[in-house]
Amino acid sequence: MSQRQAQRADKSQRRQGVPWGRWGLRVSALSYLALILIIPLLVVFQDGLSEGLRGLWSEITRPVAWAALMLTLRTSAVMVIINTVMGTLTAYVLVRYEFPGKSLLNALVDLPLAIPTLVTGVMLVILYGPQEPLGAWLERALGLRVIFASPGIVLALLFVTFPFVVRAVQPVLLSLDRSVEDAAASLGAGPWTIFRRVTLPPLLLPLTSGALLSFARAVGEFGAIIVVAGNIPLRSQTAAVYVWGEVESENRFGASAVSVALMVIAFSLILAVDLIQSRRQGEDRT
Amino acid sequence: MSIVLEHLTKRYGGHPVVNDVSLEIADGEFFVLLGSSGSGKTTVLNMVAGLTGIDRGRILLHGRDVTDLPTQERRVGFVFQNYALFQHMSVADNIEFGMTLRKMPAAERRRWRDELLELVGLVGLGKRMPRQLSGGQQQRVALARALAIKPDVLLLDEPLGALDAKIRIELRRSLSAIQRTLGVSTILVTHDQEEAFELADRLGVMSFGRLLEVGQPADLYQRPATEFVATFLGTANLLVGRCAGESIQLGPVRIPVACPARAPSEQAPHTPPSRSPVANELDAPAVQRVQVLFRPEDVVLARDPAALAVPPFGQGEVVQVVFSGAYQRLRLRLPPLAGVRPIAPPVAFGDDAVFVEALRQQADVEFLPLQPGERVWVGIRHFHALEHPGLNFLLLTDGSPQAQAALALGGQLARLAHARTVVLGYDLQGEAMQRHLQQAKELLGSGLAALDVRMTAEPLAQAVHDEAERQPYDLVIMGFTATNGLDLAETIVQAGEHNLLLVSRPQETPMNVLIAATSGEPGKDDVLFAGRLMRHVGASATLISVLDHGDDAVTRQRAERFLAGGVRSLEILGVPARSAVRSGQVSPTIAKELAAGGYDLLVLGTPLADLDGRISLHGVVEQMLSQTPACATLLVRSTKHSHFGPTVVETVRI
Repeated sequence: MSQRQAQRADKSQRRQGVPWGRWGLRVSALSYLALILIIPLLVVFQDGLSEGLRGLWSEITRPVAWAALMLTLRTSAVMVIINTVMGTLTAYVLVRYEFPGKSLLNALVDLPLAIPTLVTGVMLVILYGPQEPLGAWLERALGLRVIFASPGIVLALLFVTFPFVVRAVQPVLLSLDRSVEDAAASLGAGPWTIFRRVTLPPLLLPLTSGALLSFARAVGEFGAIIVVAGNIPLRSQTAAVYVWGEVESENRFGASAVSVALMVIAFSLILAVDLIQSRRQGEDRT
Repeated sequence: MSIVLEHLTKRYGGHPVVNDVSLEIADGEFFVLLGSSGSGKTTVLNMVAGLTGIDRGRILLHGRDVTDLPTQERRVGFVFQNYALFQHMSVADNIEFGMTLRKMPAAERRRWRDELLELVGLVGLGKRMPRQLSGGQQQRVALARALAIKPDVLLLDEPLGALDAKIRIELRRSLSAIQRTLGVSTILVTHDQEEAFELADRLGVMSFGRLLEVGQPADLYQRPATEFVATFLGTANLLVGRCAGESIQLGPVRIPVACPARAPSEQAPHTPPSRSPVANELDAPAVQRVQVLFRPEDVVLARDPAALAVPPFGQGEVVQVVFSGAYQRLRLRLPPLAGVRPIAPPVAFGDDAVFVEALRQQADVEFLPLQPGERVWVGIRHFHALEHPGLNFLLLTDGSPQAQAALALGGQLARLAHARTVVLGYDLQGEAMQRHLQQAKELLGSGLAALDVRMTAEPLAQAVHDEAERQPYDLVIMGFTATNGLDLAETIVQAGEHNLLLVSRPQETPMNVLIAATSGEPGKDDVLFAGRLMRHVGASATLISVLDHGDDAVTRQRAERFLAGGVRSLEILGVPARSAVRSGQVSPTIAKELAAGGYDLLVLGTPLADLDGRISLHGVVEQMLSQTPACATLLVRSTKHSHFGPTVVETVRI
């Protein structure tokens, strides 16, 4: 062993002695995570479960709370259906067609992420409010009430979650080889068959994960909805708004219980997305 | 005929990527389209499949006109270079995809699927997913999938391009066997010569959108008609010799091969049975030179001329010896030969030697071992004279803006016409000249058949005269301004036997050409040379004749007959053409037509030379060029001898 090699070995041994740096890094990262994320989560769970599972359940199933939860799930579900179809369409158009203003449209897709959700609500009220021309016309001609009602909530959610499906589908669509579609055409497949059997299947996983993300985002939406839908119990009060009301009226247990329900929903969705992502990565690797 | 392609043309942004391609493929034939990337071969395949629209032409598959049918209804099997398998379906599902769409009963479907799996050698792999297979296996699946619909024709786009060398050879064999088993008419596109030679019943060579030649591989290799094909396929020794009656003189060797016939008397251009006689005649150069090809394996080497068994070509020095398995490659350097100009292998600038590539089998190597530096006698066992002499362009430049425009347009034309090109720099000194010529070289870039760059300090007319002495040019291209350009153009046009293209400003490749058939005296040459050029470029033409208001009906009829003949000749060449007769003063009428019709090239004939051989451009040409023209102007030299029998001579004087 040359002298230099010996020195190097010695040095690495010394480094192995007490790895302060490495441990220090881990400890600080983990305690930060605990402080910021885990402890608040645990506190809410502890509070929500302070009267046992049964107590939690009876608190959630109180008519007003239950109605708020159901309204949240219902409006989010409608939003997800619309968003999935239109988001895929938007991504397809953005990837496959050339038209003037394409790059501008592409940049606009992310705009909802940058606009404060309260502002979103204000915009919708200005547009659809019962005193405004469009809102008044909708109510008069179609009997459709937007503001202070579920359509308003769906519109607000659509606006807020617009980027999720588009951005999930777009990169996958970009990476798809056009020759695969050409091959299907040469085998006799028409445009719709090509889309259904060739283009869509590889999009399903990213599409699902985009849809779930937008659902998770929608379930907790507060700012836009409080402006658009107000806070009318049993009619336009969503779960998030309900929680806020409970906090305002100093009913901590009620707030915690519904919060736990919201978190369980959101958490399981995120978990599902993670699962899909890892499955996709697994596919790519083989 | 299974596949008939008629005059297929496709342009992208004005450039023809596929230019007047016509082809017939017999039942069960394995046809290979060979060309370098960008030659348009894949576009042709996509046209047949209906994946690319066509601008002009017609496609028939088994007698069925499919030109306007969508891909789905053409019944073609298509195999892509990147396999293009449905990644989310199993191998079996991939193969069955087309059968399901055709509503084939399930039992029959399974049976045919299993047969196909056996045919492509993938028995037992039906349940695998594509990504679990190797590249070669995936391409076998793609082949089975394409064959599953029992297509009328099979189209293969570089199917072996993405595979390792060893797999490629293996799959090549399978492909050939499968195609023979099923007897399906096939077009395969490739840039790999070896692949083309091995697979093809017949072979077509494409370059810059044109299908240059079609034939059996051995035929094209041994008897190519064009310089491009001669040098593109295998290694070529290509020399320019002179025609000498019933034989060709190549340095010391007289080859008892008749010069490719193009004597006017032997041709009947008015009723041509096919396009080639006219094409040959049009390619007739002013001087009877001929390109002679011999392959490296046709070169015989011996210590003394008597041992050659063929007439000696010369004594050369061995420059390079390369061992390549079963063969030995040699490069020999011969002293300059009178009347011989080498094309391939290329000779370095300033060198006037002739290089010859030779290929010997190991037995010959043992019999006569050779080392670099040794001298040896060279004989040639077999010659082939090319039918088409090819075009020669001379580009003149002094670095001025109009010369730059001329360089750009000339380079583009040379690329499309496969012309050998010389750039001659003048009126520039020292470093400026070097820099400019370097720029010119970069501007012209790749795709040229051959590019030489030279400079001169002599007066331009003298320099062009000297250049033309060394080697006659078909076309000289130069920048032009109305202020002092005409006198210079006049001297240049008489410095040889060439035509002259004057360029004033940057422009795209001409697509729409106005040929003024009355400006020069005989007129026919204008039409023919312009047609020859446009054939390569993919442009369309309008023939215009301007009559005096006072001309009688007979004159008018003659003019119309002449124009009709010109239109026919152009169309035989594959150049879409129409004619127009106008009345009025010649140059204003043409100028008006030029501006109104959106033309981008004007063709004028030069007047006939006077008794002293002088050509004067004063007259119509001067009037047309008195203001800097909006588009390039081609001045076509009128020769006294018309190639067009007595009927034409009569119509020629309009």
